[in-house]
Amino acid sequence: MTTLLAYLDPGSGSMILQILAGGLAAVAVTAKLYWRRLMRFLRIRKDDPEAETAGKADSA
Amino acid sequence: MQTFTLETGSFRDPESRIFYAGDSVYRALSREGLEDFEALSASGLLDDERIVRTERVQEDGLPELLPTETAGVLRHELIPFVSYPYEWSFSMLKDAALLQLDLLLAALDRELILKDSSPYNVQFKGARARFVDVGSFERLRQGEPWVGYRQFCMLYLYPLLLQAVKGVPFQAWLRGSIDGITPAQMRGVMSFRDRFRRGLFLNVFAHARLERRYAAKGGEVREEVKRAGFRKELIVANVRKMRKLVTRLEWDPPQGVWVQYGERNSYTDEDAARKDEFVRKVAGSRRWRLAWDIGCNTGRYSRIAAEGADHVVAVDADQGPVELLYRELRDAGDERILPLTMNLADPSPGLGWRGLERKSLPDRGRPDLVLALALVHHIAISANVPVKELVDWLAGLGCSLVIEFPTREDPMVKTLLAPKREGLHPDYELSFFERCLHEAFVVERSERLRSGTRVLYFARPKRA
Repeated sequence: MTTLLAYLDPGSGSMILQILAGGLAAVAVTAKLYWRRLMRFLRIRKDDPEAETAGKADSA
Repeated sequence: MQTFTLETGSFRDPESRIFYAGDSVYRALSREGLEDFEALSASGLLDDERIVRTERVQEDGLPELLPTETAGVLRHELIPFVSYPYEWSFSMLKDAALLQLDLLLAALDRELILKDSSPYNVQFKGARARFVDVGSFERLRQGEPWVGYRQFCMLYLYPLLLQAVKGVPFQAWLRGSIDGITPAQMRGVMSFRDRFRRGLFLNVFAHARLERRYAAKGGEVREEVKRAGFRKELIVANVRKMRKLVTRLEWDPPQGVWVQYGERNSYTDEDAARKDEFVRKVAGSRRWRLAWDIGCNTGRYSRIAAEGADHVVAVDADQGPVELLYRELRDAGDERILPLTMNLADPSPGLGWRGLERKSLPDRGRPDLVLALALVHHIAISANVPVKELVDWLAGLGCSLVIEFPTREDPMVKTLLAPKREGLHPDYELSFFERCLHEAFVVERSERLRSGTRVLYFARPKRA
């Protein structure tokens, strides 16, 4: 995955808002986003190992 | 390539940079920027007439223009006169917003996206909005959100809401803040009941709250959003909703005498006809490249000037008549008269980084003809500008001039003087005005209108 090259800061709150505002189109994304948070909260899953490696690859 | 000048307002995007050479405007692109341009070109969207006409050119020997190597150069159609959102009337900003959203939808349809949402990317050719930042198109990256959403709110949606919902003109705020109105600021001017207005709860109230809550978690949220899979359909849904919201926003100028009739009310029909004729004769005396009609009101004389000028910039301090003029010109498809709202006693200065990112009015192109009709008394009496300074400022533009002087006996002048202390504005006298005019210009012709309280002059610059 390529690193984001946007010169503009999309704003973290603004990104979350787009998901909330998306209505039906956003249901799947919202569900995934909050499912991951719930899992983390319940300590069923601490972190996403896949993303961790991807993150490392990005910064390399 | 011959000598070139960098555009001082186009440094923000590291992938592209505007520069001028000869009479043309060019854009240097980085490798990444060029690949994006090729994708845009292949999509067919570049041929859309709402986008500034653009062609790829071969240019060698360019010095360093970008943080990375220049990989390609484009040449753009020249916009006759650059204007900024803080000089536009409500419908101009609204039309620019809709253009931005429509092009974004068209781009998404072709697996492209606009990387920002700045109204400075839109320019008006007459009353026709043109999208000028071809460098804003880029290939859509899977999982990325609509990066320009926040900027769209700050520079389009909130200013429009300010005017439509609160009746507060947005121009002063946009002129005072180059990045626009933040969600928290917009939240601050909203009342309790505004949260029940369509679209406002999410785009203003929730937006401000989420921004505060996630302020320090930029990278974290971005990764999370990416992993959850931000799909294109979601962006399309949001842009469509935004379009609906913007379309619904309306503002109408107050139904004042000023708006409906302007100062024409203080003229007899015969005087109005003679004034028309005076301006028409000047307009037709040669081909004018750029005329400014300052204090244009409903644009009556801008239209006459346009008979003999390639382009006319029509300026008035009152947004009301400018809004009505814009609507009329837009509906007629006019590409030669650009209506702007600006107080001439406080004209747009240089703004932004080093005061060069946005240019002052005269720095964007000197006129060769200026119409200053029914203006002098407003500047001299209402704004307290000495008559001589006003004439000298006009002379400094190096242009020919059609100017009207209403004498102290004129009903409008009397109205303006009425609230002032007796004896103020001793320089507001016909003889003194004429002396100043003769010192700074060569007066070709003058005519006193039949009513006797208004005198018209046609003057040309001394050094020409």
